[in-house]
Amino acid sequence: MLVGRAGRPGMSGAVIIGAGMIPMGRHRNSSYPGLAVPAVSTALSSAGVSPAEVGYVACGHSFGGMLTGQRIVKDLGIGGVPVINVDNACSGGAAALQLASKAVVEGITDVALAIGVDKLSQFGGGTLPLVEEDPEVRSGMVMPALYAMRARRFFYERGEDSATLAEVSVKARRHGAANPFAQYRTPVTSEEVLAARMIADPLTLLMCCPTGDGAAAVVIASQGRWRKTGVRGAHIRASVLHSGKATTGFRHMLRPEITVHSAHEAYEAAGIGPEDIDVIELHDAFSIAELIYYEALGLCPEGDAAALLKAGQTTYGGKVVVNPSGGLISKGHPVGASGVAQAVEVFWHLCGQAGKRQVEGARFGLCHVTGGGISGMDHGACTIHLLETARNRKAR
Amino acid sequence: MEMRERYTPEGMHTGPAGEQTDGVMPFGDLAPNSAGNPLADFEMIGGETFLRGARFASGVPAYPKRPLCPETGHPEQVEELFGPRGTLYSYTIVHVSNTRDVPYAIGYVDFPSSLRVLAIIRIPAGRSLACDGPVVLQSDDECWWVEPDDQA
Repeated sequence: MLVGRAGRPGMSGAVIIGAGMIPMGRHRNSSYPGLAVPAVSTALSSAGVSPAEVGYVACGHSFGGMLTGQRIVKDLGIGGVPVINVDNACSGGAAALQLASKAVVEGITDVALAIGVDKLSQFGGGTLPLVEEDPEVRSGMVMPALYAMRARRFFYERGEDSATLAEVSVKARRHGAANPFAQYRTPVTSEEVLAARMIADPLTLLMCCPTGDGAAAVVIASQGRWRKTGVRGAHIRASVLHSGKATTGFRHMLRPEITVHSAHEAYEAAGIGPEDIDVIELHDAFSIAELIYYEALGLCPEGDAAALLKAGQTTYGGKVVVNPSGGLISKGHPVGASGVAQAVEVFWHLCGQAGKRQVEGARFGLCHVTGGGISGMDHGACTIHLLETARNRKAR
Repeated sequence: MEMRERYTPEGMHTGPAGEQTDGVMPFGDLAPNSAGNPLADFEMIGGETFLRGARFASGVPAYPKRPLCPETGHPEQVEELFGPRGTLYSYTIVHVSNTRDVPYAIGYVDFPSSLRVLAIIRIPAGRSLACDGPVVLQSDDECWWVEPDDQA
C-alpha cells in the first residue's frame, strides 16, 4: 500500500503540516482525552488550521476503550466528520496515520488528523497484557521473552554478548537526554545497563522500553491546502502497512520478514534507498530490536548490525541518526501513541524544529513500527512511513 | 440470476447462503486447543512423550490441534504425534511476567517434521541450555515440557 508517491502524475500527495506531542511519562491522573487533547491542539495550531477545517480523523490506540477518537475530538469542536478508531497494537498510531493520509490522497478531505494515544499506567506496571486466548501466551509468552529469544539467537549466530545490547541502550538514553518529551532523560552507562535487574534473560530493565502514557497528533493536508498555509511540511512519500503471515514451522528470528518486505515496498514507492535516509525512528521496544532492524531496513548487510552500531554510524556524525528522540527505550512506548509520536519527531527534524537534538540538513526520514505478539507470526503488523522535507515558498 | 457460490469445505451443504447454518456455527476458538491448556495434549508411548498434534491435507503440521489449516483454511487433517526429540532454536528465562509465576524458562523447539512449538523448559541441576542444542519431551500426569537431551 502506498500513498503520495513522489512524482506520480495526477496524484496529489499528502503533506504533514503540523504536529504535537505531550511529554511521555506516567500521567495517572489523565484520561485518554486529557492525554490527547493537548497534542491535538498543538498540532492544529502549528499547522495554522482551525478544528472546523478537519474533515477526517483517525485515532490509533490499544487500550482506550470504545470511541476513543470521538471522546478526544468532541472537546475541540470537531464533529460531523468520519472518526475512525484503529487498534493495531504498537502499529495503531501509524495505521491511523496511513488512513488519514489516504483520506487526503483520495480527495475525501483537504485536511485530516491522525492521533495516537495510550495509557499503560492503568495496568500498574509489569509486562504488556497480551491476548489470553493466544496459545503461546498461555504457555508463558510475554513481549520481553519474545525479544529475549531474538537476543539469545543473535548472540549465538553473531558471536555478540550483552555488552552490545547495552550499547544500544546507552545511545538511546544519550539521545533522550536532549529530548524534553522523553520519559527518561538521564544518560546511563553500559555498566548500569548490565547491572539492572533482569526482565527476560539476557534483557535487563534498561534494555526494555518503559511502561508509560502519551499522545501525539499530526495534521495532514493536500498539496493545495498546504501551499496556502505558509508553513513548512513533510511530504509523505510512502506509507506501507503489512500484517504478519502465520506459520507453524521454522521462522528466522533475526530476519523479520514483515519489516524486510515493508521496507522494500516503501523504498520502491518513494524512489529512494536506505542510503538516502537522514533520520530514522524505529521500533526499539527492546535493545535487540534496534540491531535486527538495522539489517531489516537495509542500513547494513546482514550480519553487520553490531559493527554499524559500534562504529557510531547510527548516531550524530554517522551515516544516519537512528532514534534521535531516544526511541522507545528512552522516549517511552505508549503502544498506540508511538507510531504518531515517531512521525512527529521526524517531522520536527525535517522542518528544522527539533531544537538541541536536530539532525542538521535532514531531508528524508523514516518511521518504522511493528505491532503485537501473536503465535506463529513475526509480528501482527508493521508500518513504515517515508517522509521528505516539503519546501514551501511561503514558509515562515 | 446466478447464485453466488459459497466457500464450501468438504461435507458442508451448498445452497442459498441465507438458508444454511451448517458449517457456520462458531468454533470454540480458532486458536489451537480452546480447552485452555496448550501443554496438556500429549501421550506417553514406551516411556517417551509425544505431542498429539495434526497434519493438514496441505502438509502443514500443527500443535496443538486446530480446526482449520493456517495456510489454506481447510479442515482436513489427520492426527500426528511429534517428538520426542527436537532442537532448541532459542530460549529465555523470564523474570517478570503477567502470565505465569516467575522465574520460568521457555523456548522455541523445532521438531524434525517441520513443526515449531513454544515449550516450557525445565533445566536439571548442572545442565544448561544452548541454541541448536538437543532437547527431549518429558511429561507427568498433567503437562509436558522439554529438557536438555542427555542421549543426543
